[in-house]
Amino acid sequence: MATLKAIRRRIASVKSTQQTTRAMKLVAASRLRRAQEALFNARPYHEALTRVSDSLLASAPEALGAPEGAALAQWLVLVTSDRGLCGGYNANLIRLAEETMAKAQSEGLTPKLFVIGRKGAEHFKRAKMPLDGERINNLPRLATVGLARDVAARMLHEFRTGAVCEAGVIYSSFRSALSQRPIFEKLLPIKPPESAAGAADYLIEPSAAELIPAVLRSYVEAAIFHALLEGEASEHGARMTAMDSATNNAVDMIARLTLEMNRARQAQITKELMDIVGGAEALRG
Amino acid sequence: MAETFNFRLITPTGVLFDGAVEQVTAAGPLGEFGVLPMHTNFITSIAPGVITLKLGEGNFNEFLLAGGLAEVKDGAMTALAVEAEAPGAVNSAAAAEQAMAAEQRMATMSMFDPEYEEAAHSLALARARAQIEQLRRAPH
Repeated sequence: MATLKAIRRRIASVKSTQQTTRAMKLVAASRLRRAQEALFNARPYHEALTRVSDSLLASAPEALGAPEGAALAQWLVLVTSDRGLCGGYNANLIRLAEETMAKAQSEGLTPKLFVIGRKGAEHFKRAKMPLDGERINNLPRLATVGLARDVAARMLHEFRTGAVCEAGVIYSSFRSALSQRPIFEKLLPIKPPESAAGAADYLIEPSAAELIPAVLRSYVEAAIFHALLEGEASEHGARMTAMDSATNNAVDMIARLTLEMNRARQAQITKELMDIVGGAEALRG
Repeated sequence: MAETFNFRLITPTGVLFDGAVEQVTAAGPLGEFGVLPMHTNFITSIAPGVITLKLGEGNFNEFLLAGGLAEVKDGAMTALAVEAEAPGAVNSAAAAEQAMAAEQRMATMSMFDPEYEEAAHSLALARARAQIEQLRRAPH
């Protein structure tokens, strides 16, 4: 059995870990609330943009495809986090990215990967996989319009110049603090909306074909911004859950160690008593 | 009182304006355009610049847009911008400097440069920023 002193030291160390995980959980909870608010605020924009782009894209579907002779390649954006300690969040995303790339390869497409977030970038560097680009250290906030605009510009550039014929984004979709699911969303080429209704009801200036680049840009920017928002909320949700179970584990461990400590102390007292009694018996002898 | 219609200015970070206006003026791809009540259903893009809302009783409200889309549907107008600022937040001296920097950047670039579009965008935005200050000094 471990000595009393060692057990005491162990308890103190678990306690301090517990304090850290509890603080991290609280921080993650408040960040999650902020990220959820941002997700909520982005909704009207998303809805209005979808309505406008649907009516425009339906009227000029020929402008949506990849340029002729585009390379058989797929441009993927992977949204991971910069910081760890968030359970399987990044591992799940990376797995989906690898699966998606393997699938693209089996379809004859060369995958090109652009990674957002240190965790994803580090993983692929360790795996010695060349990246098409990365954006790490997106702190304090991941979901910024500026980042979305930069990445969207890169994506559209690759697509328009014919360097790739497909582009998509992998991010974690936020359902609740307990449940986040990595998903792959294909962004380009855009599928023309099914219901072409509404397109004819508008006066379009200068013309649908001329507006398409602007709409496409807004659309890709909004989609990437949305992915970043979902990713940010998921990251904080995952971290909150991970830190909550870490805190609970620490509580259990402290209870177990305290019991062990009390037993060890009692054993020591008993042993000392036995020694005294034994000594007294011997003297009386 | 003049007739009004509903106008919403929406960005990815939230709804910046939602209310009744008498007239909206913005810069479109073919030049400045205005929207009055009872406008036909309409879609156009907005160039980086200032959008002016006439609120009635001689009040105006302005926003700086980094470009976007405008839609009029069933008499209500929606402007979609990736970024928008209230003019109060704009520092005109910094804006003039940004415009200079953007111009210099443009001068060294070819049309086929991947960053050309981005540079043209920031130039238009910086010019609009510098312009909004003059607008504020010389009211409508």
